Amino acid sequence: MEDKKIQTKVDEVMQSIDHVQRASPRPFLFTRLEARMLNDRNIWSRLSSFAGRPVIAFSCICLVLLLNAIVILFSGSAWNGTSQQVTELTTADEYSQVSYNIYDFENAKQ
Amino acid sequence: MIEEKELIELLKKKDRAAFKQIVETWQDMVYNTALGILQNAEDAEDVTQETFIQAFESVETFKGSSKFSTWLYRISISKAMDHIRRKKRKKRFAFIQSLYGKNGRAVVDPPDFFHPGVSAENKENAAAVFKAMERLPPNQRTAFVLNKIEGLPYSEIGEIMKMSESAVDALLQRAKANLKRILQHYYSTLLQK
Repeated sequence: MEDKKIQTKVDEVMQSIDHVQRASPRPFLFTRLEARMLNDRNIWSRLSSFAGRPVIAFSCICLVLLLNAIVILFSGSAWNGTSQQVTELTTADEYSQVSYNIYDFENAKQ
Repeated sequence: MIEEKELIELLKKKDRAAFKQIVETWQDMVYNTALGILQNAEDAEDVTQETFIQAFESVETFKGSSKFSTWLYRISISKAMDHIRRKKRKKRFAFIQSLYGKNGRAVVDPPDFFHPGVSAENKENAAAVFKAMERLPPNQRTAFVLNKIEGLPYSEIGEIMKMSESAVDALLQRAKANLKRILQHYYSTLLQK
């Protein structure tokens, strides 16, 4: 009984949009449209909308990642040399007998 | 009154008067479609403006193989769908922000939508249908709006959505079945309360 009642209600509800009249926008749409187009010609808004495009944003990310990869790949040998120099300096410091105390008057004079 | 073909040629030359006539001729069609899909007057006006701007900027790509109104329908549907996606993204972001207590505002559902073209005695029932329409998949929602709100025949819907008449028929049958299922569930839970 209840199912039939629900079914009748659903059919009635579905029929409620059978003869919908066409809706119209507020008056002077063209004036607002022209104002918006004039505003959109602004260089900054055009630039931001261009940069905001998914294709452009994705290309920029890819470019940054590619540049990172190039920097890492080509700076490999230079990095090794630097780390070797650092190790030598650290070893020399660790085994050094020279005191750098500022209260050491003899060394300060040198 | 200038003919459609001539009007489009003038628009390609960026003629202001031709653009004005195009907007005035098709503004109701574009707005009504956007309103049916978006169910919000402000969003529908926004999409209407975006549609005409797009038409103005890319009229060179209109080859004339279909009707100009079909081309406009396609732009407005795609813009409306983009708008829904943008809104969903914003809603998700606002929800995450509210979780972390950034502004502390809860995400609320919009109030019921009342289409201005629905008669007064059908307002409540139509609002229930529009609410149920929000849960339809994009393709079914588009076909349903074009058929019920714009009153287009299957052949024209097929041309706009680039599918056969039988495919449109199947799509609309599925849309109606889904709407009935959603409404049945809604009214049965309402009766239980």
